[in-house]
Amino acid sequence: MPHFACPADAVSRQCPNSQLDPLAIGNVCHSVRRMTVDSILLKVLRCGCRGFCGVGLQRLRGRLSGGVCHPVCTSSVVVLVRGEGAVMKGGRRQRAIGQAVVALMTVLMSMVVADAAAVVDVYRMIQYDLKGNPMGSRRAALNHHTVSGFDVQGADLSRAVVILPALKVNISSLDEFVQNKGLLGGLLLLLPQRSDETGGAEGDDSDEKVAKALAELEQWLVHNTFQYPVYFAYEDENLLKLLHEVAASDAAGRPASATNGGYKLVVSAPEAKKLTTPTITNIQGWLPGLRAEGDSLMLPTIAIVASYDTFGAAPALASGSDSNGSGVAMLLELARLFSRLYANPNTRGRYNLLFGLTSGSPYNYNGTSNWLRNFDQRLRESMEYALCLNSLGSSSDRMLLHVSKPPENAFIQQIFSEIESVAKDSDLTVELKHKKINISNSRVAWEHEQFSRQRITAVTLSHLEEPPELLQRTGGIADIRRSVNETVVLRNIKVVAESLARHIYGQQGKQVELFAAGSNLALNPSYVRSWLNLLGRTSRVAPFLGKNAPIINALHKELSQHTKDASLQHETLDSTFLFYDSTKAQLNVYQVASVTFDFIVALAVGSYLMLLFIVLFISTKGVKDFVGIFRKAPSRKYKST
Amino acid sequence: MTFFHFFNCAALTFGPHAIYYKATPLSEYDTLGTCIKAAIVYLVTTLVKLICQATFLQVSEHDDFDLGQELLKGLIGFLDVGGLYYALTQVSHRSISQDHKFQAVGLGWAFADALLHRLAPLWVGAKGLEFTWEHLLQGLESNANLVLTVSLAALGSLMWLRKNKPSALVPVIYTTAGVVAAMPSITNYLRKGLAWEFSNVVSFELLASLVMSFITWRLFCACQRPAQ
Repeated sequence: MPHFACPADAVSRQCPNSQLDPLAIGNVCHSVRRMTVDSILLKVLRCGCRGFCGVGLQRLRGRLSGGVCHPVCTSSVVVLVRGEGAVMKGGRRQRAIGQAVVALMTVLMSMVVADAAAVVDVYRMIQYDLKGNPMGSRRAALNHHTVSGFDVQGADLSRAVVILPALKVNISSLDEFVQNKGLLGGLLLLLPQRSDETGGAEGDDSDEKVAKALAELEQWLVHNTFQYPVYFAYEDENLLKLLHEVAASDAAGRPASATNGGYKLVVSAPEAKKLTTPTITNIQGWLPGLRAEGDSLMLPTIAIVASYDTFGAAPALASGSDSNGSGVAMLLELARLFSRLYANPNTRGRYNLLFGLTSGSPYNYNGTSNWLRNFDQRLRESMEYALCLNSLGSSSDRMLLHVSKPPENAFIQQIFSEIESVAKDSDLTVELKHKKINISNSRVAWEHEQFSRQRITAVTLSHLEEPPELLQRTGGIADIRRSVNETVVLRNIKVVAESLARHIYGQQGKQVELFAAGSNLALNPSYVRSWLNLLGRTSRVAPFLGKNAPIINALHKELSQHTKDASLQHETLDSTFLFYDSTKAQLNVYQVASVTFDFIVALAVGSYLMLLFIVLFISTKGVKDFVGIFRKAPSRKYKST
Repeated sequence: MTFFHFFNCAALTFGPHAIYYKATPLSEYDTLGTCIKAAIVYLVTTLVKLICQATFLQVSEHDDFDLGQELLKGLIGFLDVGGLYYALTQVSHRSISQDHKFQAVGLGWAFADALLHRLAPLWVGAKGLEFTWEHLLQGLESNANLVLTVSLAALGSLMWLRKNKPSALVPVIYTTAGVVAAMPSITNYLRKGLAWEFSNVVSFELLASLVMSFITWRLFCACQRPAQ
């Protein structure tokens, strides 16, 4: 079945900055289809004529590149310009011919590619192997009719795509379907509309409910295996209309199929390939303290650590704002604040500060453990403690200090009391929570546990009460920018910064405020906000980032502005996780006619032509001749001898 | 089943031409040569028309309706009449009666038109997965076009070939021919100027083609009588 895809992906490739509505592209395609041979010839001729006059190209080019990026024209402008260069040397005539040919190509291309009624951006569900077990969605290509649910009468689910709004998914019944190894053509989950609102205000209850439902669904999805393609798309008017129509025809007992017609969804994606040796990248920066005269000992070091990467049911949508965009933004602001203090020898503390942005957090903090393994012995011995920041963005007036050493430990008590005394001023309660490390269990729930395994004192600050399970709270679809409250993040930065400063400058228990609002060491809310915004819209699933991802470079650049010796460390991801590519695709929505309809049309056309024949024949040649057609041609008779 | 749809549309678009040729005495008198000649004249006329349009018309940025431009386009469209005149009077036709001559010329003309304007969009569009009514409507439009072209050819043969026609009918013949020749411009106006739906335009064309062919038929009969 021949089919030409609409080059919406070509558009996004060629004009990455423009925010084109995919459905609008579909509409453009639709209108382009109306072009007839007449208009093609006209364009060619016009181009030729103007070429002789020498003004045509300019006009044509203006026309082609004018307006928004036209799906076809953008690609052909390149050809056009090249064509111009090639024929420059030739005479006018050649030039005109060259332009005419190019114009013909332009229009022909536009005719060939224009086909689908609508093109929608879809995000494929993650496909990965966990210890060799296949997980996630195992297929990418999709070409099936649409059905609005699992319980539609008369629908052949093995050859249908079920469209479900993600918020209305009944996980238990879906689970039953999956556990029974039910056959399905594909699954398209509609996520609630993406809002451009960048938070700041308190998220209301409905937001929280939505986030909770999505998180639950996501958890279930990433821990199951689907032998069919699963895609996510953001709800919009057109998709909802589509779903409504599909539901109506399903309710009427006419589910979409080859015999009934209906909507067909096509994703022509190649099968996903394994990502060979996925890398994870840690970023670190260093603020050296001031050594006293004649002091030969190395200064103690405090590490501030946040993991920046994410994991989610759809890798292209995992842009975790709370987990752990908030931690990263906090770390960057802390680095900025302390770099200002450390820039002046008078205020430089007697502690080295190490800032670490680690990757691989969803995979038992794999990146952190690699990072720590590469510490040299002197640094490891100088480490006083490490403070890990994790999920500190959502509105809550409780903060937990997760530790793995017994809470009675004097040093832990000291860290805790430092933070608590500052937190008290801003009506924040801090609690100490202890969780023992089970060395035999490979699961690492908190980042500080990797430090503790290396015998470095470490704590994690988080608003999460319980240690997350594997691949839980890793910044998936539900973790949107709106769920992070800027004022909370700023308050948390303040608390951490003040307590650190008191520790560094030996002011424990005293009421000093170093980072007071209005002073030249005040927090910069717009800086924090812009980082939260950037992180909240950048998916950061480590295996898909590669070594030179823009976000990694941006973080590196930012750290190197505030710290010394900012460096990147590329590591290979733990081989218990294997990932497959193809995270984004274009979904073509076609309205297809049924076979029955085609038969009826054929019948109608056939009878019309037949009638025409009879009428014309009788009116021009008479009934007699008409009857004559049906008589047997007189056969030659042989005389018997 | 998209190929099936393509086949249906193609049958609707090109079938009537073939049937017209087969069912009427055109096939018995071997007028295929005349048809082909008419088609070639159509091709040349179209080329001339396009060159004129390319030279005189402005490149419009949008698809909107501009009266001056459309009038010019309509004028250029009247080149069709010139082409038909040439096909009817100047091209030598091998011994066929005038009745068959205009039919053959009209048929060849309409078939070339359908081939040039509708085959490529059909091939590209009707084979796609997406279903639209557009191609079926285009097929119907092609039928209307056939009727109109044959009517125009008939009026042309009345104007230029028949000498002894009642003088009272002459202005009527010329007006009708003018209306039929202006039909593409009228439909264009409906489509762009009044922004009619494509289905409405097609039904208008079908209706207009029936009315015009009826008028032409009456005129033809009226001119036939004194000759007998």
